[in-house]
Amino acid sequence: FRAICQSDHPYSLSPMMCPLEAVVLEMQDPKTGVKSQTQRLVITTIPHAITGEDIVEWIANRFKVGAAEARAMGTMMVAFGYIYPLQDHKRLIIKPDASLYRFQTPYFWPAQQWPVEDTDYAIYLAKRNIRKKGMLELHEQEQYNNLHKWMNHKWDFIVMQAKEQYRAGKERKKPDRVVFDCQERAYWVVHRPPPGTISGMDYGLERLFSFVKYKYKSFLYKYFYFCYRLVKYSTTYKQHDPFLYPCLPSNPWLTDDVTYWQLNMQNIENPTKMRVERWTFSFGELLSDPRGRDDFRLFLKKEFSGENLAFWEACEDLKWGTAATMKEKAQQIYKTFLARGAPRWINIDGKTMEITVKGLSHPHRYVLDAAQTHIYMLMKKDSYGRYLKSPVFKETQKKAVAPEPHNFSDSQLEQNAKKRRPSLSPIILRQQEEEQKAKLAASGPVDITQVMSKLAQKKGTEHRT
Amino acid sequence: MNRWKRSVGEIQARRRQVSECEQAQAALSKVTACFQQIATCIGSNTDGSSLREELEDTRALAYRICTGMHRRLLGLLAETEQVQEDREQVERMWVLFLCALENFQQNLRKVSVLQESFPLGQRRDRRALVNSGATGGGSEVAGRAATVQMPWVTAEGEQKPDLKIHIQEIDDLLQEMLQRVNIPLWSVESTQDAWAEVCKELQEEDTLDDLMEVEVVSQDGKASGCCSHSNCRLGCIFCLLN
Repeated sequence: FRAICQSDHPYSLSPMMCPLEAVVLEMQDPKTGVKSQTQRLVITTIPHAITGEDIVEWIANRFKVGAAEARAMGTMMVAFGYIYPLQDHKRLIIKPDASLYRFQTPYFWPAQQWPVEDTDYAIYLAKRNIRKKGMLELHEQEQYNNLHKWMNHKWDFIVMQAKEQYRAGKERKKPDRVVFDCQERAYWVVHRPPPGTISGMDYGLERLFSFVKYKYKSFLYKYFYFCYRLVKYSTTYKQHDPFLYPCLPSNPWLTDDVTYWQLNMQNIENPTKMRVERWTFSFGELLSDPRGRDDFRLFLKKEFSGENLAFWEACEDLKWGTAATMKEKAQQIYKTFLARGAPRWINIDGKTMEITVKGLSHPHRYVLDAAQTHIYMLMKKDSYGRYLKSPVFKETQKKAVAPEPHNFSDSQLEQNAKKRRPSLSPIILRQQEEEQKAKLAASGPVDITQVMSKLAQKKGTEHRT
Repeated sequence: MNRWKRSVGEIQARRRQVSECEQAQAALSKVTACFQQIATCIGSNTDGSSLREELEDTRALAYRICTGMHRRLLGLLAETEQVQEDREQVERMWVLFLCALENFQQNLRKVSVLQESFPLGQRRDRRALVNSGATGGGSEVAGRAATVQMPWVTAEGEQKPDLKIHIQEIDDLLQEMLQRVNIPLWSVESTQDAWAEVCKELQEEDTLDDLMEVEVVSQDGKASGCCSHSNCRLGCIFCLLN
C-alpha cells in the first residue's frame, strides 16, 4: 500500500478518487492493463473477465513488488469490492491461478461520501426474495426479518421499489442482466458479509484512508511536540510514580501492609489526597478514575446536566461491548439521547447530529465517535472547570485522607508477612458496582429535561386534585 | 339537501385525488428504479453521452412527478375534516413519498459524484472507463421509464433544475415536509406481511440464476471453475449437472 501512495498516476485523477481507484483504472488500459478474456456461460458469453494470476502479475510488475505483496494488494482490492470473483463469490480473496474476476462498476464502488444504507439492503433482499422465490440464505433471512421489524413503516416502499427495480432490470439484455446481478450480489457480499467472510468493511473504509493521511504529516513537528509532552508528563506525574516516590502509607508489595489498597478502593467514601490531586491533572484522569467519575456525576446531578456524562458512558459501553448487542444499544441510545423529544436529550451541533443519526442506521462500534468527542470536549471545556471550583469538589478535597508513612521494624514486617490474605474477589467487586449503578439509577432526576418533565407531571396531578 | 349533495361531490373528488396520488407513487417508483438501473452504468464501458442524456430525461420525469405529488399530498393533508380510514391512507402515502424522495436523493448524489469522477468531455476520458462486462447501455430501461403516464406530467411542464440544485431542492423539500406535517414516521404500519412479495405474480425463468452459477470453460480450454485437472472433461459435466 505504501507503493500506491508513492507512485505517480498517469490518469488525471478527479479529487474524488483515492489512489487505489486510480490503480484500478490503470488496470483497464487496453495496452498496459490486465489481460482481458471472455467468460463463456451456458447460453451466452460475457467479456472483460480477468484471471487472478494475471492480476497478481500485473501488480507485481507495476509496483516492483514480490508475489506475496502483490497478492495482498490484490486481495485488498477484492475485499473492498473493486474487483469481484466470478466463482466462489463469497470468498473475497485473490487466487493466483486461472480463477476469474471482473471489475466492479463504479456505482458499486465503496465510497466514503455516502454510507451504505439499510434501506438499500432491504430492497435488495426483497428483490432477491422475489427472484429466488423465498429461498434466501440463513443470514439473509435473519437480516430480512430484522429489517422488516424495525423498518416496518418503510416496508411498503421497500417492496414496491424492489418490484420496480426487478422489472427495470428485466428490460436489459440477458447477458447484461447476469452482469448486473453479479455486480449487485458482489456489492452486498462486501458490505453485508455472510458470517465467516472477511471483507474490508469491518473497520470502515475511513480508518484506512485517514491512516494514510496521518503518515504524511510533518514528522519534525511531531517529534518536538512529543518531547515537550514527555517532559510535561514526567513533571506532573513524578510524585505519583511508585518507582520514584514512596507511596503512602507504604507500598504493600514491600511491607505486606494493605492499607494503601484499602484506602484506594474503587467505591471508597473519602479518597486519598494524592488521588484527588490526580483528578486535577486532566479531564481524562477524572473520568478514568471511578471515584472521580462518581464525584463528577454528583456535581452534574446538582447542576441537572447529568445527561452528558450518561451519554458518554453509553458510548463507551457501545464501543467496548459485545458485537451482538450493538444494534440494540445503538437504538436505545438514539431513543434516550438523540431523538427529538428524547427523555435525556443532549445538545450537540446540527452537523454532528446529522452525521450521527445517519450512521445509526447501520451501527458499528465507532458510529458515535463524533458525538462522543463533542460531548467529551463540552464537558472538558465547560463542566470540568466548574467542577474543580465547585463545593462538591472542595468538600471531597477537604475530606480526603493523607495517611502518614509507615515505619515498620523488622519484626513488624515479619508479622505483616504472616498476616497476608487474598483480597476481595473481582466477582464481588463487580456485584457491588452493579448495586451501586442500580441505586444511582433509582435516585432521582439528574438532567434538566427530567426535572422539567417531573414538574410538568406534578402540575398535572395538582390540577386534577 | 344541497349541503348533502355537495359533501358527496367533495368525497368523490377527494377519492379521485387520493387514487391519483397512489398512481403517482407507483409511477415514481417505476421511474426511480429505472434511474438507478441506468446509473449503474456510469463510469463503465457502456457509459456515453446518450446514456447520460437518458439519465437526465428520466430525472426530469421524476422531478415532475415529485413536485406534482408533493403539492397534492399537502393539499390532502391540510383538509381538516376527514374520514378516519382516509387519513391513515394519506398518512401512509406521505411517509412512503418521504422514503422514496430520500432514496432518490441518495441516487442523485451518487450520480453527481460519479459524473464528476468520470467526465466524458475528452476522448482520452474513455480510456478511464471501467470494463464491467456489460454491452448494452440503459436505453431499454429508459424506454420503460418513458412509458409512465401521469395525469399531470404533460400538463405541468416545469423545467427540471440542474443536478446539484435538484439535490439541494429535495433537501429543502424533505426539511419542509418533516416540519410542516407532524406525522411520526413510526406510526405507519406496513400493509404487507414479511415474505409476502414471494408469492406474487412475478415468475422468473430459472435459467438466470443457474447462468450465474455454472461456469463452463474459459477461452483457452482450461477448466477454470470446476476442478483443477486441466483435462477433466468428465468432471465438467458433473459440475454442470449440479
